[in-house]
Amino acid sequence: MFLLLPFDSLVVNLLGISITVLFTLLLVFIIVPAIFGVSFGIRKVYMKTLLKIFQWATLRIERGAKEKNHPLYKPYVNGIIAKEPTSLEEEIKEIRRSGSGKALDTPEFELSDIFYFCRKGIETIMDDEVTKRFSAEELESWNLLSRTNYNFQYISLRLTVLWGLGVLIRYCFLLPLRIALAFTGISLLVTGTTVVGYLPNGRCKDFLSKHVHLMCYRICVRALTAIITYHDRENRPQNGGICVANHTSPIDVIILASDGYYAMVGQIHGGLMGVIQRAMVKACPHVWFERSEVKDRHLVARRLTEHVQDKSKLPILIFPEGTCINNTSVMMFKKGSFEIGATVYPVAIKYDPQFGDAFWNSSKYGMVTYLLRMMTSWAIVCSVWYLPPMTRQPEEDAVQFANRVKSAIARQGGLVDLLWDGGLKREKVKDAFKEEQQKLYSKMIVGSHEDRSRS
Amino acid sequence: PGLPWPIPAPVTSLLSLAVTSEQIEHLHRRFKQLSQDQLTIRKENFDSIPDLEFNPIRGKIVHAFFDKRNLRQASDGLADEINFEDFLTIMSYFRPIEMNMDEEQLDRFRKEKLKFLFHMYDSDHDGKITLQEYRNVVEELLSGNPHLEKESARSIADGAMMEAASICVGQMGPDQVYEGITFEDFLKVGDVSAHTKMHVRFLNVDTIAHCY
Repeated sequence: MFLLLPFDSLVVNLLGISITVLFTLLLVFIIVPAIFGVSFGIRKVYMKTLLKIFQWATLRIERGAKEKNHPLYKPYVNGIIAKEPTSLEEEIKEIRRSGSGKALDTPEFELSDIFYFCRKGIETIMDDEVTKRFSAEELESWNLLSRTNYNFQYISLRLTVLWGLGVLIRYCFLLPLRIALAFTGISLLVTGTTVVGYLPNGRCKDFLSKHVHLMCYRICVRALTAIITYHDRENRPQNGGICVANHTSPIDVIILASDGYYAMVGQIHGGLMGVIQRAMVKACPHVWFERSEVKDRHLVARRLTEHVQDKSKLPILIFPEGTCINNTSVMMFKKGSFEIGATVYPVAIKYDPQFGDAFWNSSKYGMVTYLLRMMTSWAIVCSVWYLPPMTRQPEEDAVQFANRVKSAIARQGGLVDLLWDGGLKREKVKDAFKEEQQKLYSKMIVGSHEDRSRS
Repeated sequence: PGLPWPIPAPVTSLLSLAVTSEQIEHLHRRFKQLSQDQLTIRKENFDSIPDLEFNPIRGKIVHAFFDKRNLRQASDGLADEINFEDFLTIMSYFRPIEMNMDEEQLDRFRKEKLKFLFHMYDSDHDGKITLQEYRNVVEELLSGNPHLEKESARSIADGAMMEAASICVGQMGPDQVYEGITFEDFLKVGDVSAHTKMHVRFLNVDTIAHCY
């Protein structure tokens, strides 16, 4: 016969009570408001408190570092080299002018021309524009996550305690809460859409499906403690349009879809994602492609065109960069979605890295690791701007249109507009780019050489 | 974080003039990024720099990092891999000129930079730039132009070489053969103060204001 010690029973009771409290909290403060689209403003208060704590923490680090006389590592947003903004022609002229003082109107090859290319090469080796974009943006104040701080060893006891407390809260309280929420959200989505799928087609079905989707996305947003500010909501995408946004992480989908009704586009996956995708398409038409169909550009374009031409279908959500960028810049947009001829509704998403870095470096982290990192950050704070709709003008082609949209998004979000292809993260540079610089230089030399030999 | 090892004296003297320890830290971070957290870099690691593909003499630049003459290790040969110290040695060729340098330092500085470029031309390490080596460089620099025939690139190189010969050796007889541009000749022919453009400046950075 076992005697349950009074201590053990006390522990069990406490456990039981805390779990019940947790679930009540969950239900009352999070899920119910999500269903009705109401917010208590708890997250905003949370955010303000965190900011104050971060500022204090940063001050402590700087003070501590000064006392110990260690140099602080300060991240440089603009790179470490002063790059001269002159063009190739100007530079080569200057190199020659400062050299032999020969007549400049007979440009020919000089031994010293190699100086320019050599220097440019060393500059890129020291500090490369493109690779910088692909590592997570570096922060200037510490947000109590050791993963973002390089000065970690210079902190005091008080700060270590605070950090430890932070770890405890994030991993033992926030993480289980968020996982429970995510689980609830996803299962509600799958069951809700399947149930709605049994209804006959009509207004009732559309209405219900929209709201089931919306409700579940809202729960997922709370599962990540995402604090989102929407601007210019009057420009939200309408049916028959294409919504285009810059891409930082898979979370972008949840952020946009919790404030509007969209049809998703994507490849069918296996596993849990596949289950979700198949359930969603029962309730309302999304555009899912088989793996083999993705390569066929004409098929893709045709299906997208069919979808946008049907005004009863929801606007399509597309991320034309094709890969996740670290949210400091916008890379080249692939032109496919701009050829279809529908109205484009650009959206700019900018994350505040202060609370948690949302960038998914897919070469560094897998999906599960990434989601865990997201769920153990303090919060995801971002701003979404809905830009006025754009259509392709008759005199521009798809690429120019894509660039115009991209510039608008970059300007609104305060991101740098880069011409580079986001696909560079994985592939090597296309040879066409390489040729530009060489062509320019050789035109300079050869053009004149031919002139001279002719005369 | 501070550097994990003390920097050896020859390197510090190279760098003492224009590079602060903060800048060395940056270069170290860049080195780690290129080497993917290994202690040494190989030629393949330079493939991960997309911007470098732009550059027509990319091959020669990367080669220069492993050239033992530039690394001051030997008068010939190529290293397979370089460590951070070697990386800094190569970077030191691109230090900007400081105001407080004296004549002797300036001269040494200038010779070092020109020597670096000389090694770029002289690919077989025999101390002379032959006609063939000169042609190679010109062809590489002009290789981006699809309309350019090989003959044109050649004739440009030949013309430049002849001019160099005339500066160094004066008028040559019909039987005389010009073996190649030696380093002394290079100093004469190569534009003397153009080396002032061969430097990379670090940005003077203060903390950037962060507003919500």
